[in-house]
Amino acid sequence: MKKLRINSGEWLFGLSGRVTFLISAILILFVCFVDKFHGGKAWIPSYTQHILVTCLLSALLALGLNFISGYLGQTSLGHAAFYGIGAYTTAVLLTYTGLNFWLSIFVGMLMSMLLAIPLAAASLRVKGQFLVVITYAFCEIFRYIAINVPVLGGTGGMAGLKAPEVFGVRITKLAATNKGGYMILLFLLVSVAAFFSWRVQRSRVGYAFAAIREDEIAAEAMGINVKYYKTLAMVISAAICSIAGSIQAAFATMVSPELFSSTKSIQIFSMVVIGGRMSIKGMILGGSLMTILPEVFHSVKDMAGLSFDPWNILYGLLLVVMMRVRPQGIWGRKEKDEG
Amino acid sequence: MFVFLQQIINGLAQGGIYSLIAIGWTTVFGIVGVINWTHGEVYMLGAYVGYFVTTFLHLPLIPALLVSMLAGMVIAVLVDEVGYRPLRKRGVLAATGFITALGLSTILRYSASAAFTVNPRAYPELIEQELLTLFRVGDSAITISSLHLIILIGTFVIMVALELFMKRTLTGKAMLAASQDMQTLGLMGVNAELLIKITFAISGALGAAAGFFIGLLYAIDPIMGALAGLKGWSCAILGGIGSIAGSLVGGILLGIAESLTAGFISTGYKDAIGFAIMIFILLIKPSGLMGYKFEEKV
Repeated sequence: MKKLRINSGEWLFGLSGRVTFLISAILILFVCFVDKFHGGKAWIPSYTQHILVTCLLSALLALGLNFISGYLGQTSLGHAAFYGIGAYTTAVLLTYTGLNFWLSIFVGMLMSMLLAIPLAAASLRVKGQFLVVITYAFCEIFRYIAINVPVLGGTGGMAGLKAPEVFGVRITKLAATNKGGYMILLFLLVSVAAFFSWRVQRSRVGYAFAAIREDEIAAEAMGINVKYYKTLAMVISAAICSIAGSIQAAFATMVSPELFSSTKSIQIFSMVVIGGRMSIKGMILGGSLMTILPEVFHSVKDMAGLSFDPWNILYGLLLVVMMRVRPQGIWGRKEKDEG
Repeated sequence: MFVFLQQIINGLAQGGIYSLIAIGWTTVFGIVGVINWTHGEVYMLGAYVGYFVTTFLHLPLIPALLVSMLAGMVIAVLVDEVGYRPLRKRGVLAATGFITALGLSTILRYSASAAFTVNPRAYPELIEQELLTLFRVGDSAITISSLHLIILIGTFVIMVALELFMKRTLTGKAMLAASQDMQTLGLMGVNAELLIKITFAISGALGAAAGFFIGLLYAIDPIMGALAGLKGWSCAILGGIGSIAGSLVGGILLGIAESLTAGFISTGYKDAIGFAIMIFILLIKPSGLMGYKFEEKV
């Protein structure tokens, strides 16, 4: 069996995880509060903050999918389903029952975990190319449900969700701008998810995932309960994506069937692929790149007065070139024997 | 009962189109072993070629269909040459093929929407649309649109031609053999690269033909390839990967199922039903309806 090498605390520039966390926490707090302590024009425009929040959301989604596409090496093009389920659960609970936002996150997680089980059952029976289609179709089915069920608001979705409160303070009032609170919240969540992934990677479960990824039959022969671990990975990844969905719903104050779009699923998948499968910092990088680059090219489009968005074409090109030049992703490890 | 029969007839043409797309998927998958995600885009481009030659060159039905199939061939072969061949040569196609396909399909789709704009376009009227009475049940007539009939005949002719090509020609037999064991076939002195190109050409021609037929029925737009491609793949799975007859059956079944859903349940769930069926079949019988004939894999 191949020797399993797990990259330990190699975070940015060889710093340990704790130092990286502290530095990024200081940076985030600076971004959130700097405009509160000096008068005059804001240093950090609201637009930048919006992008930062989206980056963090994307990183959370990528960290979620990493359990399936990274650790287990399966391709899923359906993780937007869990993102959407989280968002819709929160939206429905907030609108119709007036439940607390924080509780609705957990209900959303529970929903996603339950709905992940059929998908996990599918991943036990088929894999590779067939699983791709099943996950894709799984997500599409939810999109049609969201469009067609009147309670869920149809094509327009549901709007006007109230911002959540932390100890009686609106999250939008926490920092200098209305985005700051979400930034802190998401930063904490991404940190927890990253820490969790890192711990799982080095645990018994992580080694089991690696064994299944390298050779499923050999893993089973060695007494690893493949069914259990595959289901576990799917459930964890669904839960993480669902949290991102719930927060997206509150942040955008609305949900729409577009959350379930296959474009979103493919975007999440490409974050994992571009960042580098199994690499935690790769997920954060991948998520940020796939958020910032579209914005950059969108402004290029506006400046050059193009009638189309050049990003979508470049995005395809990026995937093709990536597979040619560095198939393991920016921060991924090279796989010796794939396929 | 009357509505039920009528819905089945209505679903046939759409089913035929799905079958054509499905065969394009399944031939490439059988021989190259990669989900050619660009197939939906070839279908869309085929529809656009058909639109341009009928609108601006005023070609009649059959020449326009042939031109569009030829264009589909060229595009599919180019996709292989540019996208998959370099990876195949390095022996990494299995690991990287799918993501490359995803990237190529994104490039094609959005280049098309940049070039042709996202507004839907409709073909000019190539044949007169009328309702032909097939037979009567009591005092109500079961009808079929002349467009649907033309599409069904076209699909049938293409299928028969393909079946004859596979069974009667040496190249066709080589393709059947390649789907079993490409490596051994190479050792037998077959030009594997040429065989792969022929496979892509056939797949492209079928995809473009499907696109042309859909253009006869509905307006076309640059992003229609995504959903249609996925449905084609669903049909291929439904019928059993590698089986031409299976793809035909899978396509027709999906077409009828969609038509019945639209008629009896709700038009909104029409597209979802196909996916639900596909998931169900894959879970119950991963080899598909006719997948047991593994030696007939193409």
